[in-house]
Amino acid sequence: MSFKRFTLIRILIIIIMAGLISWAITSGNAWIPIPVIIAALIILLLFRRRVREVVVDERVYSTAEKASFFALRVFGIAAAVIGVTLVTLGWQSSSDLYKIGLTLAFSVCGLVLIYYIAHIYYNRKYSGKK
Amino acid sequence: MARINNQIRRLRFENGEMTQEELAQRAGCTRQTIIALEQGKYVPSIELAFKIARALSVSLEEVFQYEG
Repeated sequence: MSFKRFTLIRILIIIIMAGLISWAITSGNAWIPIPVIIAALIILLLFRRRVREVVVDERVYSTAEKASFFALRVFGIAAAVIGVTLVTLGWQSSSDLYKIGLTLAFSVCGLVLIYYIAHIYYNRKYSGKK
Repeated sequence: MARINNQIRRLRFENGEMTQEELAQRAGCTRQTIIALEQGKYVPSIELAFKIARALSVSLEEVFQYEG
């Protein structure tokens, strides 16, 4: 299978998945999205294995690493600032602003924690320490 | 600032007018990576550099030159 054909199949699967999830949300069927996503991932993986061409190489990974790091920095700073601002604004009234700000702030904390753990892991892996 | 030049395009044509796609397949990378290398926009890892040199049937130094 060529990569072009796989790309078309992937777009089709994503459209179907998006449609099913949208329908699940509007109809209130909360159990549908997770199996749909899992099924879509499995189907994509099966099709991906049939692609003959090299699709991902070191340059793609390098680009993804740089983009991920940039996104982490931008989201981390922005979400932290916005989260703290919303918490401050909603502090007195315990309004929705407070809840949103708290969710955002804790999300950033979780993200930074995951990054820190991953950083320790990869630093040990590539530093030569045992 | 240090710079790494390469002769991939010239060596590709000298190797029976090999296409970028053929070189990419032999080196185990994508055609977009070969394009980026020829345009000087990307510096390969040592492993990929060796694979490209082997695919072009030349030594590493013939393909890549370090100007530091």
